[in-house]
Amino acid sequence: MQEISFRKDILPLKDKLFRLALRITLNRAEAEDVVQDTMLRVWSRRDEWSKFDSIEAFCMTVARNLAIDRSQKMDAKNLELTPEMEQASDASGPYNLLVQTERLNLIHQLINKLPEKQRTVIQLRDIEGKNYKEIAKVMGLTEEQVKVTLFRARQKVKEQYLAIDGYGL
Amino acid sequence: MDYKNIEQLLERYWRGETSLEEENQLRDFFTSGEVPAALLLYKELFVYQKEQQIEGLGADFDARMLSKVESPIVKAKHLSLVSRFKPLFRAAAVVTVFLMLGNVAQRSLFHNDALDYNYNNYRDTYDDPNVAYKKVSSALLILSDEISKSNNQNSADSIYKAATDSVMNE
Repeated sequence: MQEISFRKDILPLKDKLFRLALRITLNRAEAEDVVQDTMLRVWSRRDEWSKFDSIEAFCMTVARNLAIDRSQKMDAKNLELTPEMEQASDASGPYNLLVQTERLNLIHQLINKLPEKQRTVIQLRDIEGKNYKEIAKVMGLTEEQVKVTLFRARQKVKEQYLAIDGYGL
Repeated sequence: MDYKNIEQLLERYWRGETSLEEENQLRDFFTSGEVPAALLLYKELFVYQKEQQIEGLGADFDARMLSKVESPIVKAKHLSLVSRFKPLFRAAAVVTVFLMLGNVAQRSLFHNDALDYNYNNYRDTYDDPNVAYKKVSSALLILSDEISKSNNQNSADSIYKAATDSVMNE
């Protein structure tokens, strides 16, 4: 088994952990704290690193649990629009730009309004590009449950997106 | 480009049946190149997914994290004998300074006790010259006695030596 180093193997996970924590807490400061706590917790168990078959999955699980804890403590404050959503990529005119930004915001809100499980599955699958097995491991579910959750999440996003867009946003 | 294929992929995507490769294909399609009007509606969903991939924490986080994690590790520091006793040396230096200061103070405050080498300041010890004469002569007698004692010893040695020399020469 290869030696695991904090600097080389765990610290580079910070962005992934941050994105996951942000998806769950919906708050950048809280998410950053979660990443920090996760790493400290993982560091304190450094004697056991060699026993894990995937240190990344372990970190993700810890981060998810901590993030859920925190977001539960943070009341039902559910939505926050983050400024980075305002930068759009390639639109040809002001109108298109506006529409594109609106739609990006809308998708951001729709995904963040999903229940935590569905949100996390979307995050891990569509943004981090993880396979079902990895997601199941992080979330402590079976692969079948992951597939079902992903299906429901995508359906809900699609339905609500089309419904709102259908009104000519 | 075959948009039919994309439409089918999109259908399967909503049903959660696409593989990771196919989902990448969809993201690539929607984020690069021309998207036909019929599919434009879904563009932002994949743009959003791609945008979210670059979200992250800055380098200052690394520094903070490392300082938290690595500070408990105590590095072995070589301690030489001199550096180990450095505090003692310091204490000794402080004590010395105080002693010297005390000495100086004592000398300047009790100046009278010092030996006086100026003979003009000497005063007579005895009023009667006869008594003084006797005292001095007795003191000188003791002195000469002692000197002659050691002289005798020396001369006795030399006489003995001369005698033995003359005897040997004969």
